[in-house]
Amino acid sequence: MRLFIAGLRKLVRRPATLVSLGLLAGLLSLILVAVGATARSRPNGAEALLLVTFPGAYVLILSFILGLGGLISLVYGAAVAGSEWSWGTLKNAVARGESRSGYVLLTFASVALLIGIGLLVAFGIGILMGLVGATLAGVSTNGVTDSASLGALPDKLGRSWFAMVEEAAFGFAVATLARSQLAGVGAGIGLYFGEQFASLFLPDIVKYLPFNAAMAVVVNTNPGGGGGIVQRLDPGTALVAVTAWLVASLVVAAAFTERAEIAG
Amino acid sequence: MGPAAASLALATHGLHKRYGSRVALAGLDLSVPEGVVYGFLGPNGAGKTTTMRLLTGLIHPDTGSIELLGRPFGRRDRRRLFDIGALIESPAFYPYLSGRENLRALAATGASTPANKVDELLDLVGLMDRARDRVSTYSLGMKQRLGIAAALLSDPRLLLLDEPANGLDPAGIVAMRDTLRNLAGMGKTVFVSSHILGEVRQLADMVGIIAAGRLVREGSLDDILSGGAIVRIRIKPEEVARAVAILPGMLGAGQVSVQSAESGWLSVEADAGRASEINRSLAEAGIYASELTAESDLESVFLELTGGAPAADGERPTFGAAGVSPKGSP
Repeated sequence: MRLFIAGLRKLVRRPATLVSLGLLAGLLSLILVAVGATARSRPNGAEALLLVTFPGAYVLILSFILGLGGLISLVYGAAVAGSEWSWGTLKNAVARGESRSGYVLLTFASVALLIGIGLLVAFGIGILMGLVGATLAGVSTNGVTDSASLGALPDKLGRSWFAMVEEAAFGFAVATLARSQLAGVGAGIGLYFGEQFASLFLPDIVKYLPFNAAMAVVVNTNPGGGGGIVQRLDPGTALVAVTAWLVASLVVAAAFTERAEIAG
Repeated sequence: MGPAAASLALATHGLHKRYGSRVALAGLDLSVPEGVVYGFLGPNGAGKTTTMRLLTGLIHPDTGSIELLGRPFGRRDRRRLFDIGALIESPAFYPYLSGRENLRALAATGASTPANKVDELLDLVGLMDRARDRVSTYSLGMKQRLGIAAALLSDPRLLLLDEPANGLDPAGIVAMRDTLRNLAGMGKTVFVSSHILGEVRQLADMVGIIAAGRLVREGSLDDILSGGAIVRIRIKPEEVARAVAILPGMLGAGQVSVQSAESGWLSVEADAGRASEINRSLAEAGIYASELTAESDLESVFLELTGGAPAADGERPTFGAAGVSPKGSP
C-alpha cells in the first residue's frame, strides 16, 4: 500500500500529469465552444451541433475523451514506465530489495487511478463546456437532466476508464520493452497511428487491436455518427478484447522487468 | 583482521559475467569481513560496476555465487537486500521532486523506514537547507550526497558505494570519509569501489584490486602497502647521475630509478625508516635533497598489479580527472 501511495504522490507532482489533463480538457473545451459558436453558420452544422445537444452529447463527449484521451493515456503510460528506466529510479527500488513485478504493477495501478480522476475531471469540464456551446448555439439544454442518460453514465464512464487504462497499459508495456521514455512514447504513438493506417487493409483484424477495441467499449459507432472503414466490435466483445490487451500488456511489462538485466 | 578470523559481510565465489562476447568478470572471489571499510580498486572497465550490479541483484551472474551477510544471495533472495544500502553508478532520482520527496519515495520501497529517517539523513549529508528544492536544481555533488543518504535509508549493515566521491568538493569528500568511518565504527561494513587511490588509502582498512575481471590482490592495506614502500627524492638535475651511482651501494642494485632527470626526481624502493639514512648518504657526497617524501605507494602496487606502468618521464598514467598521483609525488 505504501508503494502505491508513494507512486500516486510521485505522479501527482509530475508535470506530465497536469499537462496531459490540461491538453485533453483544453482541446475538448475549445472544440465544444467552437462548435457552439460556429455550427449554425456552417453548411453541415446540424451534425456538429449533436456534440452540444444533450442528452446525446454525454456519449459524444465521452467518445471524444476516449479518442484523444486514449492517445494521451498511451503517451502518459509510456512516459511513466520509460522514465523509470531512463532516470534509473527502477534501479534504486530493485537495489533496495523491492519486488520488480510488484513495483511495476503498483506503479501502473497509480497511473490507472490518476487516469480515472483525469477522466472524471475532463468529463465534468466537457459537460460544462458543452452547456456553454449549447448556449452559444441557441440549443436547448433541457436534455442535460435526462434521467435515462444520467443513469447510464456510471457504466459508460467505467467502460471508458477501463479502455483508457488499457491504452495506457499498452504504452506502459512498449516503453518497458524499449527501456526508454522517449522510445516508448515514440513507439506507442507509432503503433497508435499504425493501427489506424492498418484499418485500410485489415479491417476485420484491426477491430480487435488495442485502440479500435478501446474505442468500441462505449459505443460501436464513430464519434459524431459518421461511418468508418472498420466495423467496430459491439461494446461487450470490445470489453473482452480490451481486458485481454490490458492483461497481456501488464504481464509483458512485469515479466520483462522481472527478467531484465538492469544496467545504466 | 583477516577474513578467516571474522565473519564475512560479503563473499563471492568464482563470479563470471559476460556481456555478449565481452567478459566482464572472469572468476571473481571476494572476501569482505564485517565491520571494515573495504576499498575495491580497479581501472576503468575492470569489472567494478558489474560487481556492484551483481551484488545488488540488478544483474545475475552466469556462474558463481554470492553471499551477503553470511547467507546465499540468488535471484529469489531479494529480501537479503533489505539490510544493504547501495549507491550504484550515478545517483538516480526523479528530477521534478525535491530531495526530501525523492527520499520519501524511495523509503516506500524495500525495507520499512522510520518516518523521521529522511530528515535525519538529509541533515547528515548537509542537504537540509535544500531539502525542498527540486533535484533538477542540484549540483552533481549534491546529488551524490543525496545518493549516499538514499543508501543509508534502511540503516544497512552493509553499504555498497560505487565511486561515492564523484562530484564532491574537498569538504564533501572529507565529510563523506568521516561519515563512512563512523559507520564502520558502528560495526557496519562499507564496500567502496573507486579508482582514486588516495581516497581509498585514507579510507579503507582492506583493499581488493581487480583487473580484467579478476581479483589480483586482496588484503589489509598495511599488507598490500608493505610491498610498495617508496622514498622519493628531489635533487639538482645535474647531480642525478652521481646519486644513482652512490645509492645502490647502500641499498642494492635495482632499487633506484630516475623518475625525471630534467626535474631531478629519484624514486627509491625502501622502507620509510631508511629515508634519513638515504638523505645522510647523499649529503655526505655533497648532494642535498630539496624535497624528500617517504611513503607506502598504493599507486605502484596498483599499477604493477593491473598492468599499468609509470611512463618514461616519471609521470603516471591517469584514470580520470582526479588522477592517481599519491600525496607528495611529483
